[in-house]
Amino acid sequence: MDASIVTGIFGAYTPIAPMIIMIIGALIMPALYFGFKKKAPVTAVQMIIILISLALNMILLGTGYEATYANLFTYDAFSGLLILLFQIVVGIVAFVSYSSIETTTLHFGAYSSLLLIAAAGMMFVGAADDLISIFVGVETVSISSYALVAMKRNDPRAAEAAVKYVIIGGLSTALTIYGISMLYGVTGTVELSELGVALAASGYSWAFIIALITMMAGYGFKVAMVPFHMWAPDVYEGASTPVSIMLATGSKKMGLAVFFKIFLVMLVTANVVGGLGIVEVQYLFAIVAALSMTIGNVVAISQTNIKRMLAYSSIAQAGYILIAMAVMSQYALSAGLFHMFTHVFMKGGAFLVVGALICAGLGEKITDYNGLAKRAPLVAFAMLLFLFSLAGVPPLAGFTSKFFLFSSAIYSEDGVMTQWIWLAFVAILNSAISLYYYVRIIKAMYIEKPAAGADSKLKIPKTFAIAIAVCVVFVIVLGLYPGIIMDYCAQGAAALFGLI
Amino acid sequence: MIVEYVWLVPLIPILCFVLVGFFGNHMHQGGGYLSIAGAAASFIISIAVSVEFWTSAAYTDPGYVTNSITWFSLGGHDVNLGYYVDSLACLVMLFASFISMLIFIYSLGYMGDQGGRKRRYFAEVSLFLTGMLGLAASSNMIEMFVFWELMGLCSYLLIGFWSFNHPEGDAKAINAASAAKKAFLVTRAGDVCLMGGMFVLFQAMGSLDYTVIFNTANLNAANPDTLFLASLLIFGGAIGKSAQFPLMDWLPDAMAGPTTVSALIHAATMVKAGVYLVARCFPLFVMNIDVMLFVGVIGGVTAFFAATMAMNNMNIKKVLAYSTLSQLGYMFLSLGAGGYLMALGMQSGDTALMAAGALGYTAGILHMANHAFFKGLLFLCSGSVIHSCGTEDMRLMGGLGKKMKITSITMLIGSLSIAGFPFFAGFWSKDLVLETALDAAGNGACGWIFLLLWFLGVVTAFMTAFYMFRLWYMTFAGEPRENAQKSHGESPHSMTIPLCVLSCFAFAFGFVLLFGFDGLFTIGLNADGLWQVGGVAGAGAVHYFLELFTNPYTYLTIILVLGAIFLAYLMYCKKTVDPGKFNKHGQAWLYKACASRWWLPEIYNQVSWKLGYGVAKCVDFFDRQVIDGTVNGLSNAVIGGGELARKAQDGNAHTYAGVVIGGAVALFAVALILFVVYGGI
Repeated sequence: MDASIVTGIFGAYTPIAPMIIMIIGALIMPALYFGFKKKAPVTAVQMIIILISLALNMILLGTGYEATYANLFTYDAFSGLLILLFQIVVGIVAFVSYSSIETTTLHFGAYSSLLLIAAAGMMFVGAADDLISIFVGVETVSISSYALVAMKRNDPRAAEAAVKYVIIGGLSTALTIYGISMLYGVTGTVELSELGVALAASGYSWAFIIALITMMAGYGFKVAMVPFHMWAPDVYEGASTPVSIMLATGSKKMGLAVFFKIFLVMLVTANVVGGLGIVEVQYLFAIVAALSMTIGNVVAISQTNIKRMLAYSSIAQAGYILIAMAVMSQYALSAGLFHMFTHVFMKGGAFLVVGALICAGLGEKITDYNGLAKRAPLVAFAMLLFLFSLAGVPPLAGFTSKFFLFSSAIYSEDGVMTQWIWLAFVAILNSAISLYYYVRIIKAMYIEKPAAGADSKLKIPKTFAIAIAVCVVFVIVLGLYPGIIMDYCAQGAAALFGLI
Repeated sequence: MIVEYVWLVPLIPILCFVLVGFFGNHMHQGGGYLSIAGAAASFIISIAVSVEFWTSAAYTDPGYVTNSITWFSLGGHDVNLGYYVDSLACLVMLFASFISMLIFIYSLGYMGDQGGRKRRYFAEVSLFLTGMLGLAASSNMIEMFVFWELMGLCSYLLIGFWSFNHPEGDAKAINAASAAKKAFLVTRAGDVCLMGGMFVLFQAMGSLDYTVIFNTANLNAANPDTLFLASLLIFGGAIGKSAQFPLMDWLPDAMAGPTTVSALIHAATMVKAGVYLVARCFPLFVMNIDVMLFVGVIGGVTAFFAATMAMNNMNIKKVLAYSTLSQLGYMFLSLGAGGYLMALGMQSGDTALMAAGALGYTAGILHMANHAFFKGLLFLCSGSVIHSCGTEDMRLMGGLGKKMKITSITMLIGSLSIAGFPFFAGFWSKDLVLETALDAAGNGACGWIFLLLWFLGVVTAFMTAFYMFRLWYMTFAGEPRENAQKSHGESPHSMTIPLCVLSCFAFAFGFVLLFGFDGLFTIGLNADGLWQVGGVAGAGAVHYFLELFTNPYTYLTIILVLGAIFLAYLMYCKKTVDPGKFNKHGQAWLYKACASRWWLPEIYNQVSWKLGYGVAKCVDFFDRQVIDGTVNGLSNAVIGGGELARKAQDGNAHTYAGVVIGGAVALFAVALILFVVYGGI
């Protein structure tokens, strides 16, 4: 199969073909819901749209297609990989939104539409070529996700969360656009591929540091890295679980992708082309990474609400992925990309279990999970796998990706020990800390007795069961045979480094 | 090509394990039929694979079929997952799946009264079989090690099968639990050696794929000292798994499991893995003559000492357990002596010596297969006896021959075979083993050691015949004693049919030599100078008849065997010779030594108690005071910090915005410091 099947239809628009499909889908969703007044057909069409988009992307990715659209968006192995990631996320979210009792019924058409728009925004960021298109893509995601957070049935927490999200999001956007303007002032370009050369020519300046920090703050909000993480637990807790999945596994990855696309490429180029020392920026990211994992994990210990706990654990996981920003090597980047994928399945899977149990009438408190192994043995076992994977227990996916990630901080590609070994040490210690609170849930599920009167079997919706099963399969398969995704991650990292 | 589907052979039993493990309670016989079907399917595929391989062109050149995919990569080294089919692998797969299938069928009867526990039993034995089949089909050491450990786990689970709810009370249950622990820990000592050996080998060769590490050119290029160390460590793994001296003590205790499990461990799986490992690593071991000498010495010594322990034991299963140790010793003696001759021949370029060495390899492998048949048979027979009279003590049996005709006859066949009675299976391989040892005695600087080992081997042959017939006469002949009187006769068909099938093989399997099949499992350097198992024509019936029957020492062993059988007859059947006269009624020093396993368990206990407990106490102190103290302090700090940070999260949006701005300013300060320190500005 070659890319001509796609290029024949989309012509010059081929690089953004998967996004176009999503946008078309977003436009017809409200009309569909208006016509049918039922969730099922809307979700069915939505899934078809996502699958078409996914199929297009797989064809392009599989055939190694590379092209640029209007000097704004480039499709290559890196952007194709990110698009695939976002498609998987939105596929899972859309699939379970249909049967979740938390999602809105009244505005389901708008909800579905916003979901696809958010997905398209993330995918545009994945393919973006300059600072402006990145900014626009990120804002598309932000604005639609503000609304998505608010769209929850019968829960005042959602409105509160949405307001907080908007306020902090607005602040971050302001910081971002300020940073972009400063960066433009320093380098005189918004093209990602030219930033590095320009920076090498101009060297570091006060303005650059301000640009760096404000953009880190702005996009760090999306990543939910410390100290820009405070919103995340409130919002994840307040939003409906499918939207929490979208935020934790999708929009967080978009923020990391922005870091990779802007800073990694710029600094490594400046280093390679202009011989500019980048160790200070690397340390900056290393400190942020270490802070994120430590604070995320430590605060997660004292949480009693499982969604908040998972939110803090997501902050820690972002810290792990930021190791790639500290090490700034091709191998570290591919390991970071791989961890982004495994994180989708394990964190997404854990949130799916939480969402499924909410639908089955279970609360969000950790004590509500007492005796779950008796009440829903398969779901409890799936949760055990996800939590062990998050903690990095072999042979699950989380172990493999953490292994790649941490080893990239220890040895560089040519076998020399790097200076980031302390970061790997911090990360490993953090993995040990994280085991504490993950195992607490497992203990609740397997050892504690269910509360009196709450020992009936739980019945979870079918779509959740299927989505959880898919995540379980990937958590196991990617652990045993990482090659199926890791190869693409290596290609993606090579494509990004190919720009240098 | 069916060979390409050889991975199905280990895969089917593990699928049975999963299915039986999860759904066994909803199946007939706790999933027993499914396990049998799985073993049968593996056996049929093994046949198809073996026949196709042996008739293919690859059999003669290069002597193997292999294929693998990358499992994962570590620092530029690929670890592969694949299969490696050669004659040795085929042979092991064939006998392991076939005998396991028969044992599973037998288990239907033997474990028939176990109710809900059958699910666990059949699931675990299926997994056990996977371990052995996967071990045989693996294409590299790491993959093999996975299956090796899988067997270790299964042996632990199955030996301790009755570690709770033992049918005969709590004392036995505790005994089973400690036997399982012992088996696991003692074999673990070997496993650690094997792992170390793998690391050393990887260091020396840069790979653990069989095609790479057993390649002659690579072996010659590697550092000989590293190879020496690797060989010894790998052999350490075999010592643990095959219960050779000094790690032999777990196997007799392992009798605490069900008899069928003993049959599985002794005949088809587990202990054969050690022999397989040495046979597989023969090209590596042969690089150093001292390694082969060591293998031979360990084998010969174990053969002798284990046989002495069997002489006066009263427990029917323990006698068989000691005899397994002894027979495994023969296999290692054979491989060691053969390797010694091979190494000598390679040094001097003498092809006659190399041929003699190859004969030792053939004898060792043939003895492994023969032993699988007759030991499986003997254990299943003993199980049938135990099933019928409810005891393992031979002093409470006797006269069962009339009540249990099939069991007594099949057991007689097994005993004749293991004793090396002429023309029974054990005869051919055992005499070739002794002949190789004697051959080795006449060559090289260390030949005198092999003369000693040959002598021990011959004495062992005498003892083997004696204790096996002592067992047979005490069980089946004479007057029925206590439990034998209450025996409820012959076992059900599901148990007797496997006995009949196995007895045919225990009698006739040695004839493969005469029909020229020995070419399948001999070893040598092929035309390209590479090691190859099989691939040559068999020597044929005439050759082996001449080889054995023109050798005066063959007649010596035959006379010894007949003499031993006659002596056992006089002592335990006709009772004209009183055994009490020899052992001073149990007071003789030698008698006590044998009965207490030459005090080996005491030595272990003393060493591990004095040394191990002392070290453990020191470690315990360090652990409690230093490590736990640190960890507790740290965790208190972490949890306290978490509480503090949680309180900072007060839920007010303006606090959050403040933190964002404050964080950005703090980050800016940090960045400034960094840029100044690194001279960026």
